[in-house]
Amino acid sequence: MSERLLPTPKDTAAPYLCAGFGLLLLVWGSYWGLALAPREEYMGDVQRIMYVHVPTAWNAMLALTFTFVCALFFLLRGDWRWDARLEAGMEVGTVLSALLCMQGAIWAKPTWGVWWDWDPRLTTTAVMVFAFAGVLALRRFVDDPVKRAVWSAVACIVASVDVPIVYFSVKWWNSLHQLQSTPQTVSSAFHWPLRINAFGVLFLMIGLITLRTRTALLRLHGELAPPPPAPLPTSAALEAS
Amino acid sequence: MGAGVGSGLLHGGWEFVIAAYVVSAVVYVGYLASVHFRYRDERRQAARDGGVSRSAHE
Repeated sequence: MSERLLPTPKDTAAPYLCAGFGLLLLVWGSYWGLALAPREEYMGDVQRIMYVHVPTAWNAMLALTFTFVCALFFLLRGDWRWDARLEAGMEVGTVLSALLCMQGAIWAKPTWGVWWDWDPRLTTTAVMVFAFAGVLALRRFVDDPVKRAVWSAVACIVASVDVPIVYFSVKWWNSLHQLQSTPQTVSSAFHWPLRINAFGVLFLMIGLITLRTRTALLRLHGELAPPPPAPLPTSAALEAS
Repeated sequence: MGAGVGSGLLHGGWEFVIAAYVVSAVVYVGYLASVHFRYRDERRQAARDGGVSRSAHE
């Protein structure tokens, strides 16, 4: 891999504004979902968990798909910015996926009667969380930045195989988990809180990935910068030699 | 447990709804704070090291 330009990340407030806007949307969407949206006929108030669970699921899949793209671009171009984006996207995607499992467990207890079931959707999601968490752990254990970037990009591509399996698992297998919700299967009364929260998590995620990318870039600068030159020998040292 | 099971219809269950929203808020805000503090520390470290170079060397 040849020498690559590693730009200094800009220190602007844009990611904070983006994340803040996302949080505001989440507050608005959650208020709508908790206080204004009607009760669902069968699940009652428990269905309101969907307004945070489904947006988290959509954006977790989006973040991990972005990570897959970053891994491909890094391997093809060798540009360090893609490695930094990969690290950021993978961490945010893993956090969202772990949160997704927690929200799902809280919803499953009153509706299925259990916190967890080894249903295909849940099992493949758990595999996804542990696979990407494993790649993040791999990055922590490898000190050489080049090996770390290449190994984690390859491992990320392998782990990404599970992402479409998670998505299609409810279609491929007779699963306890219901099929994906679409505008055709969800009443229009439930659309708005779902959409507002989906955009809220999206803006929050973009802000988080941008900030996390900056952190990774700054660390890469420290790791890849040439070592400081050795001090010049003093005249006394020259005379002694 | 507030959610009634047996008739096919769920009643109550607000404690689960509140738990889901509280867990979500804690994770979102906590993770945002974690990312912010790590970025701040990395910036301070870069400033201590005399700024960042424009190019990377393998």
